[in-house]
Amino acid sequence: MPLLRLILARLVQALPVLLGVSLVTFVLMAASPGDPVRLLVGDRATPEIIAVIRERYGLDEPILTRYLVYLKNLLQGDMGASLRYRVPVTELIASHYPVTLFLVLYTIVLSLPPVVALAVVSARNQGGLADQAIRLLGVLGLAVPVFWLALLLSRFFGVTLKWFPVSGFGDTPLEHLHHLFLPALSTAIWVVPILVRNLRAALLDEMGRDYVTTGLSKGLGRRAVFRAHVFPNSLLPTVNLFGIIVAYLLGGSVIVESVYAVPGMGKLMVESILARDYYVVQGATLVFALTTILVMLATDLIAARLDPRVSA
Amino acid sequence: MRRAPALLVAGIAIVAAWGLVALAAPFLATHDPIAINFEALLQPPGDANYFGTDNTGRDVFSRVVYGTRYALYIGLLGVLAPMAIGMTIGLVAGYFGGWVDALAMRLVDVAVPFPFFVLVLAIVAVLGPGIENYFIALALVGWIGYARLARAEALVLRQSEFVLAARTMGFSHPYILARHVLPNALSPVVVYMMTDITLVILFGAALGFLGMGAPPPTPEWGIMIAEGSFYISTAWWIAFFPGLAMVMIGVGFALIGDGLARWLRLRA
Amino acid sequence: MTLLSVRDLTVTFGPVIAASGVSFDLAQGEALGIVGESGSGKSVTCRALLRLLPASARVTGSVAFDGQEVTALREDALDALRGRRIGMIFQSPASHLDPLMRIGDQVGQTLRRHRGLSGKALAEEVVRLLDQVRIPDPRRWADAWPHELSGGMKQRAMIAGALACEPDVLIADEPTTALDATVQKGVLDLLNSLRADRGLAMIFVSHDLGAVARVCDRLLVMRNGEVVEEGTVNRIVTAPVHDYTRRLLASHPDRLPPRPPRALPAGAPEVLAATGLSVRFGRRSLSDWLSGRTGGFVALDGADLTLRKGEVLGIVGESGSGKSTLARALVGLNRAQAGTIRHLGQPVQPAGRNRVTYLRQVQMIYQHPYEALSPRLTVEQSIAEPLRRHRLVSSGRIGARVTELMAEVDLSPDLGTRLPWELSGGQCQRVAIARALALEPAVLIADEVTSALDVTLQAQVLDLLSRLQAERGLSMIFISHDLGVIRRLCDRVMVMRAGQIVETGQVAQVFDTPRQGYTRELIAAIPHLPGAEAPA
Repeated sequence: MPLLRLILARLVQALPVLLGVSLVTFVLMAASPGDPVRLLVGDRATPEIIAVIRERYGLDEPILTRYLVYLKNLLQGDMGASLRYRVPVTELIASHYPVTLFLVLYTIVLSLPPVVALAVVSARNQGGLADQAIRLLGVLGLAVPVFWLALLLSRFFGVTLKWFPVSGFGDTPLEHLHHLFLPALSTAIWVVPILVRNLRAALLDEMGRDYVTTGLSKGLGRRAVFRAHVFPNSLLPTVNLFGIIVAYLLGGSVIVESVYAVPGMGKLMVESILARDYYVVQGATLVFALTTILVMLATDLIAARLDPRVSA
Repeated sequence: MRRAPALLVAGIAIVAAWGLVALAAPFLATHDPIAINFEALLQPPGDANYFGTDNTGRDVFSRVVYGTRYALYIGLLGVLAPMAIGMTIGLVAGYFGGWVDALAMRLVDVAVPFPFFVLVLAIVAVLGPGIENYFIALALVGWIGYARLARAEALVLRQSEFVLAARTMGFSHPYILARHVLPNALSPVVVYMMTDITLVILFGAALGFLGMGAPPPTPEWGIMIAEGSFYISTAWWIAFFPGLAMVMIGVGFALIGDGLARWLRLRA
Repeated sequence: MTLLSVRDLTVTFGPVIAASGVSFDLAQGEALGIVGESGSGKSVTCRALLRLLPASARVTGSVAFDGQEVTALREDALDALRGRRIGMIFQSPASHLDPLMRIGDQVGQTLRRHRGLSGKALAEEVVRLLDQVRIPDPRRWADAWPHELSGGMKQRAMIAGALACEPDVLIADEPTTALDATVQKGVLDLLNSLRADRGLAMIFVSHDLGAVARVCDRLLVMRNGEVVEEGTVNRIVTAPVHDYTRRLLASHPDRLPPRPPRALPAGAPEVLAATGLSVRFGRRSLSDWLSGRTGGFVALDGADLTLRKGEVLGIVGESGSGKSTLARALVGLNRAQAGTIRHLGQPVQPAGRNRVTYLRQVQMIYQHPYEALSPRLTVEQSIAEPLRRHRLVSSGRIGARVTELMAEVDLSPDLGTRLPWELSGGQCQRVAIARALALEPAVLIADEVTSALDVTLQAQVLDLLSRLQAERGLSMIFISHDLGVIRRLCDRVMVMRAGQIVETGQVAQVFDTPRQGYTRELIAAIPHLPGAEAPA
């Protein structure tokens, strides 16, 4: 049962992180200006309603009690309600979350082939022309503002060429793919350089290892050594990076969704900030963090399966 | 000492050139960057307005030139607090280890799952829009990268024999940290700082773009792109030029970071 | 019959000449040793034989193997040679094995590639090979990951992989350097018996004349990329011709002048004493606590030690024996969970409040010459640092004192403004010694200070330490894995194993009449020069 034990161990290790994350979002909310009840029910609420709500969210209690109430509500799936839409935050998130998830997965699918290809070409021709070009592209990719790029792409491919719609999400999976192509491409252009840089560095590190010389001395040939030893070893640090990359993509979705009017978590968050819809901001922030934690847990387990040196 | 690589020099030259643009903005600008001119709305690039005019007739070229000041101000000032905080936490945690380290690392563990930009947005949402609040948000979350780097260096350095020797010569911990650990942990942090400046400028502009940065008449690139986004199909130049400026300044810092990293690796 | 013939082999990396005009022949079944210090070009030479050098290397000259010119072979023809006709093993087996591939798969790679074996036949052959290199329970270890094997077992697995296709030649590049002496002896014995069984020809590269002499018939001595002397092992050891070979031999621990046995003056005070010193690393985890274990890892288990004024005490042991842990506990770098330390009879806390007074009396020097000096401080700054920080001399006198100290360790004054990377390893170690002496200590603890140095430099540093000890009446603790060095430098010796002290006694008594089996095993594993098995 080593895998089960590993999963259990990682879950136990994740508990304090989960607590900390909930504390951060709670403090975020507690520090926001204005009376949260007024924000929640608006100006026309009767004192009775306000009193009921104050009690429900324990707002007259000391701060620690309020945190515990917040935790308890969270565990019951209650993240408060939206001031703007007059619906529970969970409901809003449930309708927006799949869109962002789709976008992130789409971006990853779009990114992986060029990442692997570029990193391998770059590493195998270290210092060569292709390597230099890929390196400059990486520098460029790092410096390009993603919202500006998104704007230009939508103008060119959407308005001028009319190949892709410039906003919305569509209704069928095929339409999703069509609608989200430009948003996913914009985000991909942003993350591909980062991933290429990391994978290239890992490949170069591994190519310089002693076991490569061993493999060559056995007559396996460069290609076989690359396939059998270098590539698997360089995947490990990249897999470990994946959680951080997903966090990056979620952050990027905030900007890209706003440009393309994609009804996802990012757009929801930005609009809620502008409308001072704090419970939604809080809920969205928490969901972003929880997603990253889950992905990190998953990559951790994958890395542990790949690397015999890791034990529970 | 090897010669600095060409790309590093190129990066320094680009950044220096932008620094000059920022300093000489009043001399370079052809118009008042916030002067509205209803006689010349949405004029395409030409002799009167190099980069054209926007929807209120302001000169895009002059606004881009003045915007350099904001970009550099945000980028250079924005990384200071995160670096100072991160270096201190990382070095102390890595050097002393034990419960100090455990505490610092739990703090990092909690901060890592939040997408950086989401957390900055959330904090700015709480504090209200504005560049000062962006700096506060950066100080609250931006230190993590520096702390991880500095800690990794300190973990290695504290086991290295010259630090052990300093301890067995009876020197105090603060002295050893300042004299033997800090100088030798600095290079990767400086490399990271260059990339971080690029990101801080980009995220600052993104805040402006989303309407949470500097207030609107300001000639800030993010705001200009946001304003231009409404006219992207009729007057592309409003959004195009500030973005291009941002790419160039970002490439400058990214090249410095990339070049420094390689240069340091070659020397090692 | 000549199998391998090398003529005028020259390897350059840009302007650096790594090997120059190397020529030799290797006959079938012959074992040729290549000996030299770091930078002599011995490793570069043997890598050039299989064209394993990085692309930046330029190789000229001829390498003829069994009628084929290796330097002119196409890549695929070369790969048919590598691993099939010529096998190779390396230093540090840990880094030469892929951590993500099972041992059996790595051993079987050559069989799969050159003999097309697969499936059950491959597995059976791998098990047979592992058995042949004397890995116990080969079936189990074939399924193991590299990190689960000990250093000696990893090297045996490498040998199994290199010899799987029964090559004609085995090139061994420092194969035992990273291993403990007893493990080294096992690997050398294995190589000898494989050679005898199969008529295998071998090129054995090492910095250690003793190890080479155990395996080889003929010897090349290399220096600065050139072969300076060639001949049979016996001839070179007994009648070296070249100056450098003579120096190399004279620097071997077997040939160093032995320390004259001497009695300490009666009533010489105990400068340093420790009783029941224990160090445990790692904490007690929850599961340790639940199952009643003490937890962590016990690196030092109740060690007692006394050092009298003017005495040189050697501590010897293999890796993981706890000898460095003991030294570090004495200067407060490791916190002892139990035990007491006394300095001149008074209990002291090496990591406590009054540590500065104690540490000024007890100084330590370290193993890695380049790592022991702060990379951004010049030689003068390094030596002046303790003078300045502890205000040992007035600020106007610091420069003069630094010059004095440099002279005392034979450092030329014009090195004062150099940074560590501009110095040689031996010079760095002298700076470290001068820096420790700046505090005017009564006790000097030297932790493996010569093990990272070449033998000729080692001899010089040992000489310097001996001289300083005599001149200043220092008490010294000299820690080393090398029994030969201990024998030449110390009055008394402590043998350690697995955190415990196995045997203590006067050097002559421990070496000549060891009481413990482990001590005997250690002594038997010393790689002596031929004809020097019983040194005077």
